[in-house]
Amino acid sequence: MQFPIHSLSIFRIVLLVVVFLAGLSAVQYRPDVSGRVWQAGKAAWWDYQLLDLGLTGWGQAPKQPIAFSHALHAGEYGLDCLYCHSAARVSPVAHVPPVQTCMGCHARPTPNQEIKKIQTYWKNREPIPWIRVHALPAFTRFNHKRHVRAGVACQSCHGEVQRMQRVEQVSSLKMGWCVTCHDAHQASKDCLVCHY
Amino acid sequence: MANGLDRRNFLKLLGASAAAPVVGCASKPVETIIPYVVQPEEITPGVATYYATVCQECPAGCGMVVRTREGRAVKVEGNPSHPVNQGALCARGQASLQGLYNPDRIRQPLYRNEAGKLTPLSWPEAEAMLAERLQKIRAEGQADKITFLAGQLPDSVYRLATQWLEILGSSRLMTYEPFGFEALRQANQVCFQQASIPTYDLTKARFLIGLGADFLETWHSPTYYAKAFSQMRSTTAAGKFVQVESRMSLTGANADEWIAIKPGREAFFALGLAHLILPNSTVPAEEKARLSQLLEPYSPDRVASVTEVSAETSRRLAQDFVSHGPSLALGGGIAASSRQETASLIAVNLLNYIASNIGKTVHFYEIQERPQASSYATLLSLIDELRRGEIPLLLLANTNPAFSLPPSSGFAEALTRVPFVVSFSSFPDETTEQADLILPEHTPLESWGDSHPEAGVYGLMQPVMPPVFETQALGDTLLSVTTQVDEAFLESLPWKSFFEYLQASWKERHGESGEPGDFDTFWHHALQQGGVWQTKEPLPVQLSPAVFETSFSEPTFDRAGEDALTFIAYPSSRYYDGRGANKPWLQELPDPMTQAVWDSWLEIHPETAERLGIAEGDLLTITSPHGTIEASAYFYAGLRRDVVAMPIGLGHSGYGRYAQGRGSNPVHLLSTHPETAAGGFPWLSTTVRLARTGKRAPLATTDGSRQQLGRGIAQAVTAGQHDEQHHVDHSEHPARDMYPEVEYAEYRWGMSIDLSACLGCGACVTACYAENNIPVVGEDMVAQGREMSWLRIERYFEEPQEGANAPEVRFAPMLCQHCGNAPCEPVCPVYATYHNPEGLNAQIYNRCVGTRYCANNCSYKVRRFNWDEADWPAPLNLQLNPDVTVREPGVMEKCTFCVQRIQEGKDRAKDENRPVRDGEVTPACAQTCPTQALTFGNLQDPASRVSRHSHDPRGYKVFESLNTRPAITYLKKVRRNT
Repeated sequence: MQFPIHSLSIFRIVLLVVVFLAGLSAVQYRPDVSGRVWQAGKAAWWDYQLLDLGLTGWGQAPKQPIAFSHALHAGEYGLDCLYCHSAARVSPVAHVPPVQTCMGCHARPTPNQEIKKIQTYWKNREPIPWIRVHALPAFTRFNHKRHVRAGVACQSCHGEVQRMQRVEQVSSLKMGWCVTCHDAHQASKDCLVCHY
Repeated sequence: MANGLDRRNFLKLLGASAAAPVVGCASKPVETIIPYVVQPEEITPGVATYYATVCQECPAGCGMVVRTREGRAVKVEGNPSHPVNQGALCARGQASLQGLYNPDRIRQPLYRNEAGKLTPLSWPEAEAMLAERLQKIRAEGQADKITFLAGQLPDSVYRLATQWLEILGSSRLMTYEPFGFEALRQANQVCFQQASIPTYDLTKARFLIGLGADFLETWHSPTYYAKAFSQMRSTTAAGKFVQVESRMSLTGANADEWIAIKPGREAFFALGLAHLILPNSTVPAEEKARLSQLLEPYSPDRVASVTEVSAETSRRLAQDFVSHGPSLALGGGIAASSRQETASLIAVNLLNYIASNIGKTVHFYEIQERPQASSYATLLSLIDELRRGEIPLLLLANTNPAFSLPPSSGFAEALTRVPFVVSFSSFPDETTEQADLILPEHTPLESWGDSHPEAGVYGLMQPVMPPVFETQALGDTLLSVTTQVDEAFLESLPWKSFFEYLQASWKERHGESGEPGDFDTFWHHALQQGGVWQTKEPLPVQLSPAVFETSFSEPTFDRAGEDALTFIAYPSSRYYDGRGANKPWLQELPDPMTQAVWDSWLEIHPETAERLGIAEGDLLTITSPHGTIEASAYFYAGLRRDVVAMPIGLGHSGYGRYAQGRGSNPVHLLSTHPETAAGGFPWLSTTVRLARTGKRAPLATTDGSRQQLGRGIAQAVTAGQHDEQHHVDHSEHPARDMYPEVEYAEYRWGMSIDLSACLGCGACVTACYAENNIPVVGEDMVAQGREMSWLRIERYFEEPQEGANAPEVRFAPMLCQHCGNAPCEPVCPVYATYHNPEGLNAQIYNRCVGTRYCANNCSYKVRRFNWDEADWPAPLNLQLNPDVTVREPGVMEKCTFCVQRIQEGKDRAKDENRPVRDGEVTPACAQTCPTQALTFGNLQDPASRVSRHSHDPRGYKVFESLNTRPAITYLKKVRRNT
């Protein structure tokens, strides 16, 4: 249905101003898309309206406690994603590797400050508090195993991680984005596949 | 779209314009991912790990398999390979998780300082304090008076405690169970010289008489007997079951015939039957003569005058008891435990003996190596000693006499005379509140241990997760304290930890078992399987001459005055002896018969109430010669007119936020004078007077109506008509639709519910709470009809059958019917509920805006609205199932057929490139059902069990005339009242 908006010229101006303001604010706006959106005043339904408009929500690349470079490990050295994220082929979650996995290669003394940090975590028996980049809402299920086994490349959703110095979210991870791909591959579009 | 926006984008912009100024400065909260430092070998993040252990919620010793996710226990299920429960678990077992995560647990050692306040201690300090006290007592030469009073303990812990006391110089380890069944052991000793509890083989019985034994609720091993009972009933030659008791228990409600007997006169009824059967009995002639002499006084007419059960009924049952062999009589329920309980059970033994059931349906095995619980009478003598100040140190574990004994026993007062009381309890119960030093032990799910509940069954307990709080295993505390008392003790108790001790005792078991292979193989096999099972041969037993010296007399009752009513305190299938009262799932699980939650009540016959001018919901004062309590009146027709009844288990003054101050404790009305022969607790020994307080205290119940009012929800068919065509005549309700038939591809998920098998126990309801993160809402919300249970058991009273003296009871589990033509779906304005391609009626929480139209339009009233924020006080939140969304206020929810399990099953099948097998996916309710009343599967597969059930002649759909086309087929209950 077409909205006869062109007949309201003042309204059109107001609308343009509003769009401009929304765009401006979205530059620094990072909504909470990790669930419980209706609650505690953290965010509201317009989060999703902004997301739908493509104004905000991803493109974030938080600074991590260790400047781990996927470009070096996955790109230059050509390590397979599943070498570290091994759970992705057997579990719904891809999992971030335990500190022990890092120590498999980085146990030797080194002048590298970042590797020293890992060794400190290891020595103190502390986990590394990585910052989450890809967060799905709590009411959404995503099964890594099914996608990996169906031959979906990690890059289809996570982007070219092997070129990223710092991991960045490149896909919206919104439902429309999921469904587009499911549609293209004749995968199920039943709501219950992801929402239960 | 050059000239404008479409409506959708226009609205989005409008939203954005409103949002922009408000949220411009908001920033995304930082979320972290915390990986393992060293990932345990058996854990894959996102995939469940299972551990086998043994349930410790009652002495039955059922095997459990605990599902853990990332190191926390999220669900318990019955262990399918365990011979006792064979995969099933009762509601109490399901709720054991809420013991583990109970927010009121004692979190570290506590010491009562001079001011009487409990102050935290570190473990080394606490242990040193106990060691010092022990040294002092030894120096004073009073070591032989150190007393350890325990409830149910894992076998190895019990053995270690015995050894521990021994090296300190004491032999005073007493175990006390409120439901001790002392009389049954004593009766078996008198009759067969076996002071043990036999195994009753219900599966072989073709005719079963229960004389007060509530074997489907709390009696000995309820899950085992429930399973056996359903097997007995499932064959074509299904056995008939008659229950004889004064108050209809859940067990009685499942009987084909319920007979109301004068309270405490079961012995006479059994002797009357024995008297009638004896002439045709095959017992040796000499014995027959002596028995005839013994039974001579119990002619049908005399028995009828004592028991108030007609002589004709006795004759009929006696006839059936012999003609439908092998038969079985069960006695000894807590509610029927009078002061003549031993005599009563001797009478039941005689009945079984004369009917040649011993060796056929009653099997004795070698007496278990673990000494049985001390009797209540010995506890009374301990109280005397405590009161005289003779005991320098009392240690308490897993026992709560301050709650389970009447105040007139003087236990609480006697405890104050003990110089030092140590409690190992993990919970702030009434007894522990009086302790000077609290050394909290692990809950069973955090502990090592073992259990030997039946002949040849050795269950092994292992911790399923690290301790939630700073608690310590009882065995470890004992071992650690020993070395601090005296280094020399290390020679007698050389183990560094309780784990080593346990392994050492299992090494012996390995040696005895004669199993090939080394100990490690044996141990790992036992750990994986949940224990080891051996076949044991039953012992041949003979009637002991001692039985002929038994004198049978009517039990005595403490009179509360003229025209007083006999008071029955009956064990609750939810709280057992009261230990379950601190678990919110059990508090919110409706009582099977009254459907009441969070409170206790007094059951009274409507006619008696009318005579006394009592209205339902009146708050009554109940007075016995021993005490007074208050409770709300509940009208119950399954009672004799001269008795009133009340459940045991509530009325705690402590024991945490969920138990404290809820209901009242019937034990306060009871006498302390023990049973005559065995010294058991006299549960049935007093009469009461009732008075109205003038206040009203209506119960929060979940049943809308006690009658079906002709709605045909729980249907029944009489045996004999069983094979005839009894399904609904479809011509009456032709299926017609505006829309074309829905076509299903590979799967249509469905369920069948056999009302003949359903006992109404409620295990499924609790399993559903555990699996699906269902919030507990509390009494007030339930009273407003806002309980959140996805699955409920509807209980209906039918008009009594001809000649019966109590209403017929029917149970019908009610959950989302996953209708093929669901009334809820078309009314949802936002498409949050819809029919999925596999026949599930889906509810998508993030779409739901909470109009509640669907609930209004649901014919089965199975949809629940989240009125409030769910509350899981830490650490109860650790139990939440990560595979199920925690719902927010303002959305609807309902049964999903455990869609997370369906997804998991399909995922597994896909890995192996095959369809889901029948039985591979089982929802939590069907998994835990002791009688397998619920069957789940794929209706598209004609060979699946559920497909076959859906074509059963007994099958029907609830409200079929509404054309909702449910995916659930109910199978009519089969009545056998002829």
